[in-house]
Amino acid sequence: MASSSSSASAATCSGVCETRLVDRCIDAAARSASTVEAWRRQRRSLERLPAHLADALLRRLAARRLLFPSLLEVFQHSVEEIDLSGHFAIDAEWMAYLGSFRYLRVLNLADCKNLNSSAVWALSGMSTLKELDLSRCSKITDAVIKHLASIESLEKLHVSQTGLTDNGVMAISSLENLRLLDLGGIRITDKALWSLQVLTQLQHLDIWGSEITNKGASVLEAFTSLSFLNISWTHVTCLPFIQTMRCLNMSNCTVHSICSGDPKAVIQLEKFIVSAASFGTVPSLITLSLAHTKVDDSALWYISMMPSLRILNLSRTCIKGFMIENSVKMLSMSALEELKYLESLNLDNTQLTDDVIPPLASFRALKYLFLKSDFLSDPALHALCSASSLIHLGFCGNILSSSGLLKFVPPAMLRVLDLSGCWILTGDAISAFCRRHPVIEVRHELMQELQTNCSGTFQLYKSRQPQQVNAKVSKSLAGPDERIKYSKEELMELQHLATSNSLMHVMWLPPELRRST
Amino acid sequence: MLGKGEAAGQAHLHKDDDGGEQPSGVVKLISAEGFEFVVDKKAAMVSNTLRNMLTSPGGFSETREGEVRFPEISTPILEKICQYFYWSLHYSSGKETSEFQIEPEITLELMMAANYLDT
Repeated sequence: MASSSSSASAATCSGVCETRLVDRCIDAAARSASTVEAWRRQRRSLERLPAHLADALLRRLAARRLLFPSLLEVFQHSVEEIDLSGHFAIDAEWMAYLGSFRYLRVLNLADCKNLNSSAVWALSGMSTLKELDLSRCSKITDAVIKHLASIESLEKLHVSQTGLTDNGVMAISSLENLRLLDLGGIRITDKALWSLQVLTQLQHLDIWGSEITNKGASVLEAFTSLSFLNISWTHVTCLPFIQTMRCLNMSNCTVHSICSGDPKAVIQLEKFIVSAASFGTVPSLITLSLAHTKVDDSALWYISMMPSLRILNLSRTCIKGFMIENSVKMLSMSALEELKYLESLNLDNTQLTDDVIPPLASFRALKYLFLKSDFLSDPALHALCSASSLIHLGFCGNILSSSGLLKFVPPAMLRVLDLSGCWILTGDAISAFCRRHPVIEVRHELMQELQTNCSGTFQLYKSRQPQQVNAKVSKSLAGPDERIKYSKEELMELQHLATSNSLMHVMWLPPELRRST
Repeated sequence: MLGKGEAAGQAHLHKDDDGGEQPSGVVKLISAEGFEFVVDKKAAMVSNTLRNMLTSPGGFSETREGEVRFPEISTPILEKICQYFYWSLHYSSGKETSEFQIEPEITLELMMAANYLDT
């Protein structure tokens, strides 16, 4: 079997020991048509070939254009994943061989322009096939579905930009194991989407470029496992609340609501893609939470473009309050001054330092400010003296000294000062402050003791988490409460908003909705 | 590399090339047919599987006995594997370059053996 003769190949050997013997063998086997002839009749070996080696060898043969239909036959018992995307030659003959693969799990035939529906008949009844990609096979029509319907094991089906219509798509509803369905670019209507609602295991749905309307979109609630939805390039403006949603793409849509106006809905999106989308001005974004995301100060500029924002939660983000441009430190919080209606700003657990706080005092409408941190100290508190609308100030956990507290002249409207966790403060300082400003409720761990000693009219509160106060505020606001959490990357996409939708700059409102001042 | 009943016409790689190795630094690789190939441990360690076997403190019986059996690998293939070990050691410095010739007929079996030996 082994011969000592060896053909001198011109190929040079680079990376001598980086290339493993396994890869050298695959390379040698797929070197040319004549080398293929040398082993293609070794049936016993081919049957014993482990799946990953068979897959790799087939991939190499496909890449070198050495594949032909009858060669496929030798891989019938070993190969599990095949990628023949872009192969123009694929036709019924190829499919006939592929249909006899015993363990085929993944078959990628995207961009096989010559493939038609009747050729796919060869795949019917394959009990191991889980993933099939027929994207952009333009000759595929509704007739293909009756063949696919018999492949009950299918979990992922890509038929985007094929010749399917409503009728074909409705028949897909029999594939109950589907987890991923890519119908991008197919002009389905609400009727088709309605019949697909039985696919309750569906996690990923792509219906971009379809004729779906809000009426059809309301059926999306039925997909109880849906985590990825792409409805870009449609006329959908309102989505029902889908609790499992993690990634939503509404590029090139007009977005009015993504939770059907439910004020209590809290959506936990990880990705919200809205390139070139426009947000309806009425109602517009009122509440934005980016808490626990990795957004940093560059996001503040984009946030400042949402003029109707009233509640902003940036807790536990990477915001620092400044940016370094050309070695110059620029304070970034002043960008938020644009938000004329900003009432509540949560900066708990961010890495702000004293010097970035002053811009916050100029926010005219700011009533609730949360600055729980380990890093702030007296100067930060004093900087907020001029915050004219401030009602509630959270300053938990900071390094506030007793003299710092006593020197603090609170703004006129302040009613609650939360100093929980400011351990340096003494009981004397706190009680002195309380006497001086009886109208302010001070929260601190020592308050309970002080209450028994003093005859003041303090009320006892345990230090509550600021988020609870936040919730109270949001319920009192009229209008939809759309909390959306963006990742920083998707927030970048919002910059398209600024240029393409001039409404966001000018903020034109009908007269009945304009505020006085 | 010593082999009992060596096949005729085979070009063996320099078996004394790595002179200076301790005499006890060898291991015996036994093919399906019982053919024994004695190779330096350093060469055998080109295979990750063999390296793990020979250096693990756990106590594979192979470590103690110094011999490894391969009931699934035929003699010509095991010979080729041993040739690859020495070729790999010799050219790993990268100073010279050379092509390791693999005959088309043995690619499949050699591939499976190399896969098993993680090399």
